[in-house]
Amino acid sequence: MTDRTRPIKDIFWILALCGLVAGIFRMWFGLGATTNLTDAMPWGLWKVLNMVAGVALSTSGFTVGFLVYVLRLERFRPLMKPAILIAFLGYGCSMTALLFDIGLPHRFWHPILMWNEHSFLFEVFWCVLLYFTITFIEMLPNIFERLRAERLVRLLHAGTFGVVIVGISLSSLHHSSLGSLFLVTPLRLHALWYSSWLPWFFVLSAMGGGIMMIVLVRILYARWYDPEPVFGTQLEPGVPGPADLLSLPGVSRGYTSRDMPMLAGLASIGAGIMSCYAVLKVVDLVRLGSWNALLAGTWESWLYSAELILTAILPIILVAIPRTRRSPVGLGAAALSGAFGLALNRLDVGIFGYFRDAHTVYFPSLAEWALGIGVIAAAGLVFFFIVENTAVFDNNWRQRYLSRGVFHATFDRWSHVWFAVLMSGVHRVTLLAVFVLPLAWVFLYPAYHNEKPITVVQASVGMDNMRANLRIDGDRQGVLAEFAHAEHQQRLGGDSSCAACHHVSLPGDRSTPCSRCHSDMIFATKIFDHSFHTVAVAEKEHLAGLYPANHSCALCHGDGLPKTASTVKTCYECHRDDMWLVGRPDSAVSLMNAPSFRDAMHGTCITCHTREKERVGRPQLDECATCHRSLTARRLATASHAQDDNALGAVAFGERPVGASDSGSSH
Amino acid sequence: MTNSILIDTTKCTGCERCVAACIDANKLDPHKADIDRAQTEDGLSSNRWANIQKVADDRFARKSCMHCLEPSCVSACLVGGITKTPEGPVVYDPTKCIGCRYCMLACPFHIPRYEWENAVPYMRKCDMCFERVQQGGKPACVDACPNGALVFGSRKELLQKAQEIVAANGSTYIPHVWGETEFGGTSVLYISDEDLSALGWPEPQTAAIPGLTEPLISKTPFIGLGVATCLLSVNWIVRRRMKLAGEIDNHEVERND
Repeated sequence: MTDRTRPIKDIFWILALCGLVAGIFRMWFGLGATTNLTDAMPWGLWKVLNMVAGVALSTSGFTVGFLVYVLRLERFRPLMKPAILIAFLGYGCSMTALLFDIGLPHRFWHPILMWNEHSFLFEVFWCVLLYFTITFIEMLPNIFERLRAERLVRLLHAGTFGVVIVGISLSSLHHSSLGSLFLVTPLRLHALWYSSWLPWFFVLSAMGGGIMMIVLVRILYARWYDPEPVFGTQLEPGVPGPADLLSLPGVSRGYTSRDMPMLAGLASIGAGIMSCYAVLKVVDLVRLGSWNALLAGTWESWLYSAELILTAILPIILVAIPRTRRSPVGLGAAALSGAFGLALNRLDVGIFGYFRDAHTVYFPSLAEWALGIGVIAAAGLVFFFIVENTAVFDNNWRQRYLSRGVFHATFDRWSHVWFAVLMSGVHRVTLLAVFVLPLAWVFLYPAYHNEKPITVVQASVGMDNMRANLRIDGDRQGVLAEFAHAEHQQRLGGDSSCAACHHVSLPGDRSTPCSRCHSDMIFATKIFDHSFHTVAVAEKEHLAGLYPANHSCALCHGDGLPKTASTVKTCYECHRDDMWLVGRPDSAVSLMNAPSFRDAMHGTCITCHTREKERVGRPQLDECATCHRSLTARRLATASHAQDDNALGAVAFGERPVGASDSGSSH
Repeated sequence: MTNSILIDTTKCTGCERCVAACIDANKLDPHKADIDRAQTEDGLSSNRWANIQKVADDRFARKSCMHCLEPSCVSACLVGGITKTPEGPVVYDPTKCIGCRYCMLACPFHIPRYEWENAVPYMRKCDMCFERVQQGGKPACVDACPNGALVFGSRKELLQKAQEIVAANGSTYIPHVWGETEFGGTSVLYISDEDLSALGWPEPQTAAIPGLTEPLISKTPFIGLGVATCLLSVNWIVRRRMKLAGEIDNHEVERND
């Protein structure tokens, strides 16, 4: 029999290897470098997909355990071991992902010793930990059977019932707690999903989801392993059919697609639970009065509808129609739809429902996808390993084991010798790893680490120690000049004007650089951004058309008038609220142009310096070198101005100059 | 005695000296803090625990941890790493933290911030200068404010004072003390003549967040035991019925197996 699982296993290996690389990067560089999580969206894919959705989809052990052990519905007993395997892998999967998700993985054990019994996350942690232990105990008989430790198997079987009861209780607790986790976000989570009924929704949908998962996995198993493939694949010649297998010793429990009616029954139960859940959800919407949010036509309402259709409506239709119910494809589609809808619900509650409040959209990074899916793929590989080597689904593992052909005799054309290849699978995986690992390394390597990539703008403003004189480096060329801070403050509106300059800073800058407006050093600068305004005006006025900006001209220039600067509205007419900063301008043109940096500075400084030099009695006050310190330094070398400049230089640094007081007294 | 900070936004000129003092007192990186002001929506980050935000023309308000009386983060932290101290501040213990970031999700004011850029990250937020308060001092921001817009003292007295100010200047102030009842009351109080919704607060909700979860979680053991009891009794009924059926028809049971 050819190995029908081979392509799936190869894909899983590739995904798991990518996940491994992503995991290494996450541990080495930290969360910020490898994920797209932010302060606004602190919970992302790993927590919501792997933990919240993953745990919800691993409810199979809980539901099938309930059917088999509590209700004694013996026809579902063959699904008990697979269900526990799904639970074991699902919980293992989510715990592994969580280990990477928490910021300080080396402290994963803290909640065991440090308790806060008021926290639902604490309850989730304990229940998940205990339940994982229980699924592990329930998995042990399979391993002991394989090892032929009969006495241990009997010992474990004796305690099974108690373990199942504890497991179901724990399950129902932590599934409701997972819902309760989100009860703390009444104002953040979108009204469509936030409800005080969240815990009950989570338990109910998880029960349905667990059933959908076991149906799906059983059908996939039949597709991969059953001797009589349920998907209509032709049997290969020479392969023993079910009848032959049944006659083999130790294969009394072997079953094939004869289990279809049982699966259809199970899927009906699952679809029924999901329908109850969907009805309750709609009732809840009406109860909370948020049903109009469903009709609002927002993308949230579409997600919500998709969720309802996938979890309940589609499965119940597929199960209700006899033709699809009897076909493995139809039943598989119903189960897949239910499981997918459930996962979508968890993603909505955990991620999508927060976008509107966070004013941001979170899309997981490549590394997040790689690790989140990689962990699931790794669990899939463990699934294949356990299924192929133990009697989880049936007792045919010995056949499967032999059919895989551990030793391959291969003829090498090069050396002309026959040799045996041990475990061809290992070779295949090594080959895959050689290709996948370097690629994953390159693509997943964090674009940055430790430091965010920002262009730090060199500060344009500096102060001396006394904070008396402000020196500015307007063009950021390393040349400082004095800046009349008090006068700027006064001119821009007195004490309330600080924000005019200090609250529109560039990243990395302490204040707005002069060059933000006075961007040209020598000439007057056009600060009016015309192309920006055409787009912004069109947007604000909701103009239609292929290029809305092309229709915005008349809004400023007037209809039928020449489109020149002389016909345009003044800025004030639109920016009424912003203009308090600069006062009412006399014309549009005067605001569209900022004086050149040189003119702005010189205008402010020289006018005043010229006026004041007589009063202060310092004739050099209006000279360039008074402010331009580099010029001063150059002139210090020449003896004729040395003493005078020294005094002025001291002024620039805010010290009390000896020369200044001298000249003052002599006056 | 629960301490509080009273913020009078009419006195705030937006000079950000409180922020500078906060950065100084908590030994944060001022350069990173500057960058984060420009790059984040509300100016808060792990490097910048307080920020001045413009709430209206000419009006500014300081945003930082509200130090709720019934803090959601304290209730949410699964290792009990955040505590509400009797002195008033809500304090974070970095030695317990496992980095689950549930406090960030739970806080209604979006205050806790994470050191995303670090490989070993912690949550960071204002702790009302707990050490200084313990030694009888004032928080750094209150000390730094040049205009007396921030006042530190016992919550009861400050609340009374705030109500007096608001009542005495009815024409100026909005007759409301922010933080008196919001989310069960906070240890940071605001009075203002402009609406403070620009600080990015959620719609005012008077109930404390832990009130939504704690009544439920206290019932957990009983729910667990209740479920187990239900399961056992259902199982007992099923088994008894099967036994009775088995007495009537043994073949039926065998076929079921």
